[in-house]
Amino acid sequence: MVGLVGPGPDTTATTTATTTEDPGDGRDARQPRGSRYVASHVTKAFNGAEVLHDVSIVLEPGSVHSLLGENGAGKSTLFKIMSGLYEPDAGELVLGDERLHGLTPRSALQQGIYLVPQEPTLMAHLSAAENLYVGALPRHGRTRLVDWKRIGRESVSYFTRVGLDIDIETPARNLSIAQQQLLECARALVHNCQVILFDEPTSPLTPHEVDVLFELVDGLRSDGLALGFISHRLDEVISISDQVTVLRDGRFVMNAPRGGYTRDELVTAMIGRPIGVRTRVRRSSDVTDRREILRVEDLAAPPTFTDISFTLRKHEVTGLAGLVGSGRTEIAEAIFGLRKADRGKVVLDGVPLTHRTPRECIDAGLIYLPEDRARNGIFGEVDIGRNVTAGIIPHLPRRWHLIRTDRETLLAAGATARTAVHMQALGSSINTLSGGNQQRAMISRWLLAEPKVAIFDEPTRGVDVGAKDDIYDIVADLATSGLACLVISSDLEELTLICDRVLVIYEGRIVGEVEGDDVTTARLGQLVVEGAM
Amino acid sequence: MTTTLPTPPAPAPGPAPVAAPSSTRRPRGDIGRRDRNWIVSLVVLAVAEIAYFSFSVSGFFGGGSGLLALTEQFVDIGTIALGLAVVVLAGEIDLSVGTMSSFSGIFMAVLWQSDHLDIWIAVVVALVASSLIGLANGLIITLFKVDSLLVTLAMQFILGSVATALSGASPPYGFPTSFVRIAGTGTIGPVPYQLIVFAVLAVGIGLFVSRSRTGRAVTLIGYNRPAARWSGIRVDRTVVGAFMVSAFMAAVSGILVSGYYNAARDDLGDSLLLPAVTIVVLGGVDIFGGRGRIGGVIVATFVLGYLTEGLLLRGDSSLTATMVTGILLIACLILKFQIDRRNGDDPFAVLRARLARVGRSHGRADL
Amino acid sequence: MSTTVLEPRAGRTRDVLSSHVVRLLRMREIQLLVAIGIVVAVTTAAHPTFVAPGNISFMLADAAATAILAMGQTVVVLAKGIDLSVAPILGIAAVLVAFPAQDLNLPIVVGLAIVLGVGLVLGAANGVLVSIARIPPIIATLATLSVYGGLQFILAKGEEISNIPNSYAALGNDDIVSGVPWVLLIVVALAGAVTFFLRHTNTGRSIYAIGNDAAAAHRSGIPVQRVTFIAYTLCGVLAGIGGLIYLCHVGSVDSTTGTADNINLTSIAATLIGGTALTGGRGGVAGSVLGAIFLSVALTAMVFALIPAIWEPAGVGALMLLAMLFDRRSAVRSPSRTRRPRRAP
Repeated sequence: MVGLVGPGPDTTATTTATTTEDPGDGRDARQPRGSRYVASHVTKAFNGAEVLHDVSIVLEPGSVHSLLGENGAGKSTLFKIMSGLYEPDAGELVLGDERLHGLTPRSALQQGIYLVPQEPTLMAHLSAAENLYVGALPRHGRTRLVDWKRIGRESVSYFTRVGLDIDIETPARNLSIAQQQLLECARALVHNCQVILFDEPTSPLTPHEVDVLFELVDGLRSDGLALGFISHRLDEVISISDQVTVLRDGRFVMNAPRGGYTRDELVTAMIGRPIGVRTRVRRSSDVTDRREILRVEDLAAPPTFTDISFTLRKHEVTGLAGLVGSGRTEIAEAIFGLRKADRGKVVLDGVPLTHRTPRECIDAGLIYLPEDRARNGIFGEVDIGRNVTAGIIPHLPRRWHLIRTDRETLLAAGATARTAVHMQALGSSINTLSGGNQQRAMISRWLLAEPKVAIFDEPTRGVDVGAKDDIYDIVADLATSGLACLVISSDLEELTLICDRVLVIYEGRIVGEVEGDDVTTARLGQLVVEGAM
Repeated sequence: MTTTLPTPPAPAPGPAPVAAPSSTRRPRGDIGRRDRNWIVSLVVLAVAEIAYFSFSVSGFFGGGSGLLALTEQFVDIGTIALGLAVVVLAGEIDLSVGTMSSFSGIFMAVLWQSDHLDIWIAVVVALVASSLIGLANGLIITLFKVDSLLVTLAMQFILGSVATALSGASPPYGFPTSFVRIAGTGTIGPVPYQLIVFAVLAVGIGLFVSRSRTGRAVTLIGYNRPAARWSGIRVDRTVVGAFMVSAFMAAVSGILVSGYYNAARDDLGDSLLLPAVTIVVLGGVDIFGGRGRIGGVIVATFVLGYLTEGLLLRGDSSLTATMVTGILLIACLILKFQIDRRNGDDPFAVLRARLARVGRSHGRADL
Repeated sequence: MSTTVLEPRAGRTRDVLSSHVVRLLRMREIQLLVAIGIVVAVTTAAHPTFVAPGNISFMLADAAATAILAMGQTVVVLAKGIDLSVAPILGIAAVLVAFPAQDLNLPIVVGLAIVLGVGLVLGAANGVLVSIARIPPIIATLATLSVYGGLQFILAKGEEISNIPNSYAALGNDDIVSGVPWVLLIVVALAGAVTFFLRHTNTGRSIYAIGNDAAAAHRSGIPVQRVTFIAYTLCGVLAGIGGLIYLCHVGSVDSTTGTADNINLTSIAATLIGGTALTGGRGGVAGSVLGAIFLSVALTAMVFALIPAIWEPAGVGALMLLAMLFDRRSAVRSPSRTRRPRRAP
C-alpha cells in the first residue's frame, strides 16, 4: 500500500519527465519515471488450450507499445498475466531490474503496474469518487482513517484530466459505459503507476472521448511511463504507437517500431494472409425465390430504439450494423421475445407473433445465436449432446413421458455432424471445445429446431481465424438452403463478406440500408459512426 | 428432418475444416465422472458407518431387520431432501420445507378430526394445499424477481405460525389403523412401508430429474439461467414447478411423520430443514444449481440417517448427533471443494463460481 | 457526453459528499421511522397504554439483542455473505457467562471479555471456512449452526440457568430515563462504532467493495480473503455481545436459547427490512437497528391487538415479504444489465 502513493523507487528523472499539472495538493508533483517492463517467453493454457505460446514483449519507459491481433490472439491474456490476474505457465516478468514472482493484482499495483480492463468493472453502488480509489483509499497519516476530504478534493481533478464531467457522488451504476471506461483510465492516474496497460479502452468511446484519452496517453508517455495498448481500431494504433507487436493464435508474429511497417503489413500479419484474399462468400442474386419471410413493423422501445421496420427474405443474408450501444442487439432481442417492445409487430411467414417468447419464436421457426456465448449460449459443464438438444426439449422423443435418451443422442449426433463439430465425444462437456467449435455446436442446436429465420449476434466473436471462414460458410449454406439470415456484427468487413444487404442502426434508428455492390466497409463505416452519408 | 435443412458444409474442399488445435483436446476432469466418484465415496462411507455401529452398538444391526427398521427414523427427512434437491438444482433454495412439512401433517389431521373427512381424502387435500403454497412461493419469486432465500424464509415463518395455530392446544392424534400402517409404522415382512414409499418417491424424482422434459429444463436453468432463456426454456414456469415439487415432497414427509408418531406434530420445522439441506449438499448437489444427481441425495440420506441413529443408539444426545453431522458436512465440503479446485486450471474459477449466482447481476461472471 | 471542460469544484463537492452520505443513510431510516410512527399511532389510538414509558422501554430493550445480531449480519451481508450461525454463537456466549455469573457472581466486565472471546473464536471459525476453505457462506454457516448448536447443548449440560445476579438484570432492563433503557444506549453506541468502521476505515470500505463485485475488488488489490474473514469475525463478536445483552434482558439461558427463539432468521429479517441488499454492497447498520426496533414494535402491537403469540413468526414473515416488495431492488436476484445508448458528441 505504501508504495502506491508518493515517489517511485527511482526519482532521478533521466528522461524528459515534464512536470504535469498537479492533480491535487498533498501529492508529489512529479510522476515517477517509468521502468522498462519485460514479459519474456510467456506461455499460458486454459483447460488445456494454449492461448499464449512463448510470447515476449518489451515495454520501454516513455513509449507506447501496442499489441495487435484478431479476437482470441491472446492479447488480453498477455496483459492480464502482466498485471497479475493470471499466472503464466512458463516465462517471466521483469520490471526494471526486478524479477516479479507470483504476481497478484495487489502486488502488481504495489509495483506500479495497472491494467485498464476491456470492460469496466466498477462497484455499482459506490460513488464515482470512491470507485476511483478502490483498493487504495487515501488515509490520514496518523489515524489511518479514510480521508474523505481528500477524496472529494482530488477526484475532480482526476476526472478532469480524463475529460469526465460527472458529479463525483454519482453511483457507478448510473454512469454510461463510456464514462465508466474513462473512470477506469482515471484510476491508473490515482495509482501513480510506472506501467499502464490499456486493454481496448476505446471501443465504447466516441471520437471526441478518444481524443481526450489520447491526449492523456501522450501526457503519460512524456512523463516517462511505460504504456501498453490494445485496440481493434488500426488507425488509432498506428497514430499512437511507438512500437507494435502482432500476435496471432497466441504466437508472436512481428514487431516493428513506428514507421517500420505499413498498414497492409500489419493486417497481413494479423490475419495470417494477405488481405484481399477473403472474398465475398456468396450472392443471393443467383437465387430466384426471395419471398418475404419475416416482417418487422414499427418496433419500438424508447429510448433504446424506435421506428424499426424491415423485412427479411428467403435465401438472403441481411446485416445489422451499428456501434456497441446503438441498439442493434436490443432490437434483435425484442424480435426474439427476450425483451419487451412497447409497440410494433413481427410477422413470420405470414403468421403474426404477438406474445413473443423465445419458445414461441423457436417453435415458429425463428432462432437466435446470442452474442455472449459463454453467458447466454452454452451450458459450459454440460455435455455437448445436451447442449445441442437444449433448444428442442419439448419436442424430444419420449416414451411414457420419459425422454428417450438413445434417440436424443442420435438427434444430437446428426446435428453436430451437419455442422462438422470437431469433438472427442458427444458426452464430453462443451467447455472442452474451442470457441469455433462451440459456435458450431450452437448452430447445430438451432438446426434441430428447423428454422426459417436465423439471427446471428456477433457470430465470430472469440472465434479463431480459420473457424471464422467456416462460420461464414455455414451462414452462407443456411441462406442457400432457404433461410433468411440476420447477422449483427461490429466487424464491418465481416458484413461486407457475407451480407447481401446491410441495415445500419444509429442511436436506435435505422439510418440507412445498403445493398449489393454498395456494401463496402467505407460506406458502412461512415453510416455507423456518423448516422448519415 | 425436413428438406429445409441445409446440406452439411462440404468438408473436403475449403480451408481445411479447422485442423482443430489438438491442444484443446485435453481430457478435462469429466464432471459426470467426478460426480459418480463422489457418490461411490458416499456409499463407501455409508457401509463403513453401518459396519462400525453394527459392531459397536447393540441393537443397531438387529440381524438386518434392525437396520431396516431404523430407516423409519429418517426417510421423512430424505423425502424432504429429494424435493429440496430439485429446487437447488434449479439454482434456488427453499427454506420453507420444514414448516411446510409440519403444516401438511397438521392440516391433514385437522381435516380428518374436525371436518370428519376420510383420512385418505384428507391426505390428498393436504398434498394439494401444500403444492399450492409451493406455487405461491414460486410465483412470488418469479413474478417479483426476488431472492428465493428471502421469500421462502418468510414463508417458513408464516407456515410455522399457521401450523401451530391449526393444531391448537392438543394436536390431533390416533389416526385410523390403515393409515398408521401404510404411512406410519407398518411393515411388509421386515421392510417398513415408509421405506417403500421413500423408494418409490426416490425413483420418481430420479426419473423426473434425469428423464423428464421439466427435469431437464430444471438442470439447464441451474447451470446457466440466461442461456436457458435463450434456448427457449420457459424459465419462470419451470422454476415455479420446482417449488411445487419441493412443497409436495415436504407435504408427503409431513404425512409420513404424522403416521409414524400417530399424531400431528407442529414442532418439527427446523429439525427437519437443516438435515434436509445437509443431505442435499452432502449428496453432491451444487448449491448454485445445475450440477448433482438424485442418486447422491438418496445415498446421503442413508449416510446421514444411519450416522444420526447410530449416535443416538449409542446414547448421545440429539444435539450431539447434530454437531457430528455438522462436522461431517464441513469435512466433506472442504474435501469436495479441494477436489473441484484442483481440477480447474483457472485461479479464479472458484471465486467466480462463488460469485456466479449473485454475480450474474453484474454480468461479469465471465472475466 | 458533455464536451465542456469542467472546472474543479472541490468546495461544492464536499457539500455534495456530505449531503449525499446523509441521503444514502437516511433514506431507509426515514421510511422505517415513518412506519414505526404509523404502527405506534394506530395502536395507541386503540390502546393508549402502548406509549406508556414502561412499554416503550420494554419494546426497545426487547429489540436490543436482535439489533446487535442484525448489525453483525449486516456486515456479512454487505460483503455478499450470510451467517446462519449467529443464534448459537449468542447462545454459547450467554451460557458461558451465565454459569460463572450464577456461581461466582462474575462481574459484567469479565462477562463482556468472555463473550468477546467466544464471538471472536466462533466468528473466526466461520471466517476460515468461508474465506480460506471457500465454502459457500450459506452452507458453511449452516454447518457451523449445527456444530455450535451441539456445542451449546454440551456446554449448557442440558440445564436452564436462571439465577443471574441482579446487576445483570439491571443492565438489561433498567432505564436511563423513563422509557429509555440502558441497553438502547449500548445498541446506539455499537451501531455508531460499526457505522464508523464501515464508513471510515479501509477494511470497512473494502467490505462494500467486495459486496459490489468481489472479482473487481480482487483486481483492485483488495485482499478479498482477509477482508471476508474480518467480516465474519466481526459478525461473531457482535453475536457474542448480543448473547450478553440477551442474558441480561431475559435473565435465563438454556441449551437451545437463540436457536429456539428464531433469532437467526429474525436478524436476517431486521437486516433486510433495514434496507441492506442481500446482493451485497448496499446498506448499513443504522437501518438494521431500526429494522429490529420496527419488528419489536410491530410484534408488540400484535400483542396489544390480542393476536395470539403463535402468530408472531407469521408477523415477521409478512413484514419481510412486505419490505421485499416495497424495495425490490434490495432483493432482486439479477437485474438485467442494460447498456444505455450514447448521446451524440
